[in-house]
Amino acid sequence: MPKSRLSRRKLLAGAAPLVAAPTLAKLGLDGNAEAAEHDHAHAGHAAMVGEGAPAVGGPNDLDALLYPPPQARRAGGVVDYELVAHDHDLEIAPGVFFPAWTYNGTAPGPVIRATEGDRLRVRLVNAGTHPHTIQFHGIHPADMDGVFEIVGPGEDITYEFPARPAGFHVYHCHATPLKKHIHKGLYGAFIIDPPSPRKPAQELVMVMNGYDTDGDGENNFYTVNGRTFYYARYPIRVRRSQTVRIYLANLTEFDLVNSFHLHGDFFRYYPTGSTEAFEYTDTVMLCQGQRGIIEIDFANTGRFMFHAHQSEFTELGWMGFFEVVE
Amino acid sequence: MNSRAWAVLPVILLAVVVGAFVTSGTALTDLVGRNPPPADELDIRRVQFEPGEIKIRVTNPQQDDLTIASVTVDDAIVPFTLDGSARLGRLRSSTIHVAYAWVDGDPISVGVTSSTGIETTKEIAAAVETPGASAKGFLGNGLIGLLVGVVPVALGLLWLPSLRRADARWLSAFMALTAGLLTFLGIEALAEAFQRQAELPEPLAGAGLVLLGVALSFLTMTMLGSRLARGEQTAALGAGALALLVAIGIGVHNFGEGLAIGTSFAFGELALGTFLIVGFMVHNITEGLGIAAPAAEGGGHVGLGRLSLLALVAGGPAILGAWLGGFLSSDLLAVVFFAAAAGAALEVVVEVGRYVARRAVGGLRSNWVLGGFLAGIAAMYVTGLLAG
Repeated sequence: MPKSRLSRRKLLAGAAPLVAAPTLAKLGLDGNAEAAEHDHAHAGHAAMVGEGAPAVGGPNDLDALLYPPPQARRAGGVVDYELVAHDHDLEIAPGVFFPAWTYNGTAPGPVIRATEGDRLRVRLVNAGTHPHTIQFHGIHPADMDGVFEIVGPGEDITYEFPARPAGFHVYHCHATPLKKHIHKGLYGAFIIDPPSPRKPAQELVMVMNGYDTDGDGENNFYTVNGRTFYYARYPIRVRRSQTVRIYLANLTEFDLVNSFHLHGDFFRYYPTGSTEAFEYTDTVMLCQGQRGIIEIDFANTGRFMFHAHQSEFTELGWMGFFEVVE
Repeated sequence: MNSRAWAVLPVILLAVVVGAFVTSGTALTDLVGRNPPPADELDIRRVQFEPGEIKIRVTNPQQDDLTIASVTVDDAIVPFTLDGSARLGRLRSSTIHVAYAWVDGDPISVGVTSSTGIETTKEIAAAVETPGASAKGFLGNGLIGLLVGVVPVALGLLWLPSLRRADARWLSAFMALTAGLLTFLGIEALAEAFQRQAELPEPLAGAGLVLLGVALSFLTMTMLGSRLARGEQTAALGAGALALLVAIGIGVHNFGEGLAIGTSFAFGELALGTFLIVGFMVHNITEGLGIAAPAAEGGGHVGLGRLSLLALVAGGPAILGAWLGGFLSSDLLAVVFFAAAAGAALEVVVEVGRYVARRAVGGLRSNWVLGGFLAGIAAMYVTGLLAG
């Protein structure tokens, strides 16, 4: 502890009896003798990497959300998923707990993956306290759309439809009030692979979201996959020699748009991933529900930042790094 | 059973009932409904700017413990360290240290989020370096206190010879003027106390706190008055003692004034303008007049030593206040100070009133007295506009 602070404290403590009864002084002028650690992290957010980044949990906590299940070898089968909706407090930033509504205990929920032509069977069990549904983006019958068939607490439903079209989609709860149900955490990534598999790549899923922790209709924290600065704390290791494919979706509530920006390189961006058309860029902008597939062929090794190119979102948690190795 | 045992009985029974209620948990409140969830909002008491660093003092005003989880500056999450514990019990405080290259003179906001996600933000109109305890600052604050406190009061006291030559009716008018300006000061201090009290975190913010301060100083002054009167032959307060009492009352007020000036300078909320200093000086010269009036009333010789003492008692506390203002981190104490200033001023009004009733031609209802009282209030208002 620096000496100057000590002397300042003494001065305060010395002044207290002068100005009022000691009991009153204690309320305001207490010197906090039990001072704790005091090493200043000399850090702007550029230095927010590794230990310096305030993120929750261990290095592999979010693997199930970051790495999608592998592509199926052949199409035409039945793909089963079970999602249990329940209320669950999530630690989204160190020490900050958000009373979330989740599918299977995380926000975003689990990655659902099928191949075009598969019969997708998703059972929703509502173990929460409010009615919920799942609304899948894609092509399906009207009664499988998760709008009219409200699943009350303790009830369940099975959505069954052929998976199409190929591309990258999202799913989310469509019970009302919609804003509340989405913002609370009921959403996730939904991949439909084309019948002839995409070329092999290092595949990642990133769902961009935000959390309004104080209920004022504005987000206090922004993340990918649910925890602030998580990939700054634990950079994502990828190889330069192989294409990196990111399934990127935006499910941020309250804000009009979110975005993804890559440092030090360019990528191909396939909106929705359902056609061959792509844009070659380093920044893409998505409104809520928009998603696409990013393919990066890294030119260099090293540490490259990625983040929302809304500086505010970046500094409120939506920032990470790729650790590119040979 | 003797009477003492009877006196203790209600206390014992109360303890039993309270104990029973506490051990029953929420059984009773559950009959009525559920308690709303706690507010979970921290209170940001003070933000200090030092080169490359921001210090944020936070207090937990809530019933339950709160934990400091996340800190933002201008809506950006920043790494921080803590002096003290992250988990704060009721009314406990910690200081958050943030390494930050703040921009001089720019508006800035800091936010502290508790573990339940509730964010408290504080907007600072302009970031300026918080002056530390330096010899230069000490001297500067002292000189300002001298200039706005001691000097004008001393100058006002120089009216003494002219007052002494004035006839009795004029003198009673000037005595009433003293009462008028003290009433003005009392009301101003009272309003200030209430305003600051309203800004306190809720558990501390009872208006009764102001009453406590007022009563404390009013009664202390009453005691002081009767102690001074004991020295007099008539057992009623004499002119010399009254002048001293007026000086003390004004002194308590000037302490608060110095405090306000010192605090405002320390936090960069007050521009150190020439106009402001001049305003305070003109305002406070009337206070010297207020002390001179009872001193002249007595008729006896008042030595230079005694005059200097009166000036020091009335004006000196402004210096003390200015010194302390920069270090006073408690809004609670400020409320008590201003309430005390109100109590002291109003008590002296009562003393002056008694004196005038006893001595003035025509008593309290004479036109000279009524006019003087009004003139005192008006003079304070008009000169106060300069300091506003």
